[in-house]
Amino acid sequence: MAEAKRERTERRRGFLLALPSFAYMVLFFAIPLIIVLVYSFATRTSTGSTSLSDWNFDAYRKLGEPIVRNVVVRSVILALVTTVICLVVAYPFAWFCAHQRQTVRNVLLVAVMIPFWTNFLVRNYAWRILLSEGGPISSFTEAIGLGETDILFTKLAVVIGLVYAYLPFMILPLYASIDRLDRRLVEAGRDLYGSGPQTFRRVVLPLTMPGIIAGSILVFVPSMGAYVTPELLGGGKETLLGSYIVTQFLTARNWPVGASLSFVLMAVMLVSTVVYFRSGGKNL
Amino acid sequence: MSAAVSLRGISKLFDDVTAVDNVDLDIADGEFFALLGPSGCGKTTTLRMIAGLELPSAGSLQIFGEEVGSLPPNKRPVNTVFQNYALFPHMSVADNVAFGLRMRKVPKSEISTRVQEAISLVRMSGMEGRRPNQLSGGQQQRVALARALVNRPKVLLLDEPLAALDLKLRQEMQFELKQLQREVGITFVFVTHDQEEALALSDRIGVMNDGRLLQVGTPEEMYDAPVDRFVADFIGRSNFLKGTLESPDVVCLTNGQRINVPAVDAVTVGDEVQVSLRPERVMICDVDTAPDGVARLSGIVDSETFLGNSVVYRVTLDWMTIEVETDHRPDLERHHSGDRVDLWWRDDAVAVVKP
Repeated sequence: MAEAKRERTERRRGFLLALPSFAYMVLFFAIPLIIVLVYSFATRTSTGSTSLSDWNFDAYRKLGEPIVRNVVVRSVILALVTTVICLVVAYPFAWFCAHQRQTVRNVLLVAVMIPFWTNFLVRNYAWRILLSEGGPISSFTEAIGLGETDILFTKLAVVIGLVYAYLPFMILPLYASIDRLDRRLVEAGRDLYGSGPQTFRRVVLPLTMPGIIAGSILVFVPSMGAYVTPELLGGGKETLLGSYIVTQFLTARNWPVGASLSFVLMAVMLVSTVVYFRSGGKNL
Repeated sequence: MSAAVSLRGISKLFDDVTAVDNVDLDIADGEFFALLGPSGCGKTTTLRMIAGLELPSAGSLQIFGEEVGSLPPNKRPVNTVFQNYALFPHMSVADNVAFGLRMRKVPKSEISTRVQEAISLVRMSGMEGRRPNQLSGGQQQRVALARALVNRPKVLLLDEPLAALDLKLRQEMQFELKQLQREVGITFVFVTHDQEEALALSDRIGVMNDGRLLQVGTPEEMYDAPVDRFVADFIGRSNFLKGTLESPDVVCLTNGQRINVPAVDAVTVGDEVQVSLRPERVMICDVDTAPDGVARLSGIVDSETFLGNSVVYRVTLDWMTIEVETDHRPDLERHHSGDRVDLWWRDDAVAVVKP
């Protein structure tokens, strides 16, 4: 009797504790999301406003048009390249990190986070200076006799900027899963006649796959929708998903298309994440 | 015929800490050899050096006459059964067992027959498709054995193979392990901190402490004729009588009494020594009833402890206390606290050990 009462009180206390964040999420995430969903089924009127009276799938149909398809393909490729580079760069670092003494690890992990202490925009402008003609990189290539380089406003600049921005999101889950890997399994692989690369492929890679997938999702998703970096470092030369959505909302004043595209993007991410979890993945 | 494993002056330093200190050891082909010692004594490091998981800081390491000291683990004809088994959690039992063969590019058809053989050798048939986390500790232990033995290593290394099992299972597996070794005829080197396990399983035991290998011998030799106080104390219990070696077979105890001992050559005459006297090798009797021609000491019974099959007395002499263990039998006289008694033993009941 008393126990049941206590249990009820406990449950109520838990609910009260969760209430602020719950309310915040509903107010500022769930409701706006529903508004976006609703708008994606709306119609753009000839004056550029949005009519909510006529509900249809026109906006979604428009996503099949070549212009949009090109934007999507371009963004996917860019996000894939970014993700792969992040993975290749982050894995050795995470491995190294996980094999250090505790104090060294902490220093390295804090170093990974340090860029977050500076504003994202400021960091992007810093890259503009680094990559521009006459900037440090350009001066260096000139000094070693390769001539001036002007990387700014190229795809390369965008990839460099995105890798820089999202590398920590790859490193941290990788570090977590490598740290959790039982060292003796690696030793067992070597003991059972596996060479270094064989042991890596057969034992280490499958066992750190959760970290690889988690990190890849964390890098791929924001890279897909990136807006600031492609604008500032790519010069907006090639339209990517982020800019395209912004354009639909602000310039073209076609809210339904912007909303539908946002929603499809989100749905794809959601489905892939769910599939990953269903397939037994952990530690996101 | 060269030894299966041969260590010469093997040392291992970790950041100036000596884990293994100048070990010389020969392990014969087909032998079941135990490295015994307390935790941190260097026994596991020694095993890992044989496996190739650590490289020696100094010395030479040979397996069947081939120098392997600097080879990586995958280039050595040995396999290891790890403590807690280290089975690959993402693979089935069959894939775990097949791992070594696949790495060595053994033909597929041969792999499947050999895997089947190994799995039935450890009586795990029917479990091929299970994952390690679906197995009990004893089953995991068997899979780990199969995974190592399927490769037909020249030497099988076992790191505390039974430590993770509960007592009853441990005793069962001890028996199985011994039988398995006889069946496959491979040299087994195993590391343990459990002296009973070492005595029960091995053909020979090497006792280590502080990185040094103190003594190597058969279980009987180690028990009956320890040469070091640490060995006598670690394997079984013992009384230690202090004294000086007067001649190779006479020790003068601190109370001035001279006793005969089995001749020793490990200790120089004139050195301080201790005489190890096992509690069950000491006889206890009423004053002046000891037989003639045996070493004897007089004392007073301080306490008696009844243990079912035996009785343990603590007997106080004026210079030390001696523990005596006698069988509990109706025909043996019981002594009680405060009784004056004589203790006696045959000359071959003692062993001279380095203090």
